[in-house]
Amino acid sequence: MKTLKQVRATLFLLVLWAVSVPAHAALAIIVHPSNGLSGITADEAADIYLAKAGVFANGKRAIPVDQAANSPARKKFYGAVIKKDDSALKVYWSKLMFTGKANPPRELVDDAAVKSWVAGNPDAIGYVDGKFVDSSVKVLLIIP
Amino acid sequence: MRKKILGLLCIGLAWQALPAGAAGIEGVSVSGFLTVGATYADKQLVGGTAPTEAVSQDGTIENTPGFTADSRLGLQISAKVNEDISITGQLLAKAREENSNVEADWAFINYRLSEQFTTRAGKIKFPTFLISDYYEVGYAYPWIRPPQEVYSSNPITTINGVDLLARFRFGDMSLLVQPYYGVSRGAQALVPQEAVTNTNYSLCFNGQTPGSFYTCPPGTILYTDFTADALRGINVSLSSDIFTIRAGTLKTKVNVPGFGVFQDDVKFSSAGASMDWHNVVLYTEYFEREINGRANSAFPNQKGSYTTLGYRIGKWLPHFTTARIKDNENPVGGMFDGTPLDQKSKTLGLRYEVGSGAALKFEVQEVTPKEGTRGLLIDEPINAPKDPGDDVMIYGISLDVVF
Repeated sequence: MKTLKQVRATLFLLVLWAVSVPAHAALAIIVHPSNGLSGITADEAADIYLAKAGVFANGKRAIPVDQAANSPARKKFYGAVIKKDDSALKVYWSKLMFTGKANPPRELVDDAAVKSWVAGNPDAIGYVDGKFVDSSVKVLLIIP
Repeated sequence: MRKKILGLLCIGLAWQALPAGAAGIEGVSVSGFLTVGATYADKQLVGGTAPTEAVSQDGTIENTPGFTADSRLGLQISAKVNEDISITGQLLAKAREENSNVEADWAFINYRLSEQFTTRAGKIKFPTFLISDYYEVGYAYPWIRPPQEVYSSNPITTINGVDLLARFRFGDMSLLVQPYYGVSRGAQALVPQEAVTNTNYSLCFNGQTPGSFYTCPPGTILYTDFTADALRGINVSLSSDIFTIRAGTLKTKVNVPGFGVFQDDVKFSSAGASMDWHNVVLYTEYFEREINGRANSAFPNQKGSYTTLGYRIGKWLPHFTTARIKDNENPVGGMFDGTPLDQKSKTLGLRYEVGSGAALKFEVQEVTPKEGTRGLLIDEPINAPKDPGDDVMIYGISLDVVF
């Protein structure tokens, strides 16, 4: 069942990738294959990335991972999901970091690094360009 | 203190080294903030036999361009010990102390009990007001320095103790309930001018003649050490993406050896709200302070408030603030009854985002003490040797950075 879903998601992404120009590549929000969820809303993902929620909707621990600042994937993710500009985000994190309440998600260099990190961490959540998705991770949401 | 800090850094670095070997899953994050600011006040207030350029009561804002009022550097290290435990240390160096006194402003262990509850133990800053726990991080708020009519009223900003962060979510809103308990050691408070020049207290020590004390001349800037015991309080805050509403109260017992103060009761209550909605930025706060016994001579009963309204236009945030501090029914006539401070101020400010992570700020402030009083200044503007009047203008410029 799960594998079928993954195959479907992968095919869907491949199609998306094939028909879209690279600059507007679809973004996939991915988790470890053992994650019990079948989907996530953009708002739920935003809450995890902003440290408002430390868990997925099913109560399991969620550890988000970011891509490098200024990478296309990160720009797209923050524009479509987080919906805060750079300055507002810096102010937001300053308040949390310097009062010891939370730290921003850990940053990894690129899509491949995020995919392999998520594939190796049962609690992980990340986002990658759709063309990087394979069976080592599970897609919860696609941002066209 | 320095050794402690070094120790802290070593612990931080040691922790960094450990998980790096273990697949580098969690590491150490180092971050910091820096403010460089300049101030200028338009008149000299203290003349006579002991003239001084000092204008603000702590002497950092002067009738000459100065750089010590707002400049400071903070450095933070946090390290994850495991999924539920982390440690954080924040070092602060202030220009007003010639950067010679690096303090650990925060140094605590954070233990996540569950998704809803987190407890922290060690040295923590507690939230007397909306932004008191990130008061030093200029980048995180619109002003150069938060309205002093409210923010100067509590000289205790950190405790050695514990707190609990209980978070509850209701749809888009989240409720934070934060009780805290601890003690404060090694804090210093400014001795008000009224006490400096009052013959009831012989504060200035005459080093030439051991054992002899004398009353200090007006304009003398003195700090006194004090401690606070059994400091307990609670902060309740409801927030969404658009607004934050908070209220809190705290009680403690203070000791000021220099004033013969022992275990005097202090009570603080405050409420405030902030909003950032469709480019409209609003902050408003109110507080009341009540202090009994001899401590009242240096820390009289006060109340105060401010309101800031701003409107964001792209990278620019112009804002306007009115603020007031005044008497909170302080007892009168007793030997140890202090003199409540009373002033109003109006501030016009502008914040400009310099890329992300840096902000340039400009401010023009008109400070008007109540007639016949000095307010939060070092002396009454009406006594200014040149150009006496009701008010003082204070100009400021600062660059705030986070990294």
